[in-house]
Amino acid sequence: MPRMVSKNRKRRRLDPSATGRPRKTKFQADLAPAEDRTIRLLKQELQLGSNTDFLSDAVALFRWAVSERKLGHRIISESVSGERKVLCFPRLERVAPDLVLPRVEIEWTQRELERLGELASATEANRPTEVLIRAFRD
Amino acid sequence: MAIVIRRLEESDEVENFDSGDEPLNNYLKRHAWSNQEKSLIGVSYVAVDEGAPRVVLGYFTLAVASVARDKFPKKYVRGLPPYDLSLILLARLAVDRRFEGRGLGHALISEAFRISLRVADEVGCRCIITDAYRERTSWYARYGFVPIEGAAEHGPQKMYLDLRTVRAALRR
Repeated sequence: MPRMVSKNRKRRRLDPSATGRPRKTKFQADLAPAEDRTIRLLKQELQLGSNTDFLSDAVALFRWAVSERKLGHRIISESVSGERKVLCFPRLERVAPDLVLPRVEIEWTQRELERLGELASATEANRPTEVLIRAFRD
Repeated sequence: MAIVIRRLEESDEVENFDSGDEPLNNYLKRHAWSNQEKSLIGVSYVAVDEGAPRVVLGYFTLAVASVARDKFPKKYVRGLPPYDLSLILLARLAVDRRFEGRGLGHALISEAFRISLRVADEVGCRCIITDAYRERTSWYARYGFVPIEGAAEHGPQKMYLDLRTVRAALRR
């Protein structure tokens, strides 16, 4: 019996969960010199003292971006003059909901098909109207 | 009023929706949900106010379609890609008349353009087609839709908008 107690004590020391303290995971990364410089610069700009703080903030930002794309929301930056850029990040697109639309049949008359063929075979499309341009700015 | 445009959900309140046009009201109330979720023949997107997020103020429905290459007159086939022509159908667009004049139609069609571009990016599409009421064609023309002549004089007017034009507008 005394030996068993001793073993349990040893196991308790080795298992951090048994102490009630959350277990911390080490994170190690091999960075190219340019990436290392970028991280140092970002840490400086953001006044982050440690790699742990840097990683924690980066994860928070990434987690927010993933949750927004999961909802199908676009992530947009807007300049002071109102110019907008949509973030297109291939890895984020993996979590975005599918946008494939259902397929339907449309009935066409021969004259409509002629006109459609004429429009669709044009080498250059019409220039966008001001109202159409505004549709992406508003 | 903060407007949100999102996919139609089953619990959305559509019973009091009144665009002033019975077929458009009826589609939203009776068919939009089942067409979207059961028959898979059209996805509807609704505009709601953040303050009353279940009450539908306007909607539009999108679907994809295609025209077989051999349907086109030979004269135009040469200018077309060697496949069927894929297109997006803006099947319906309506605003509750109590909320007319507040830019809801513009917000809805703008979202329809954004979705169309995303769909085109994913599955490839050449143009957007809509079946517009004759008295509404000038509204669509402001966005660059051009009439596809050749239908009966009465009834809706098919209209065409090249997705290259829409993409060019996005880049401006």
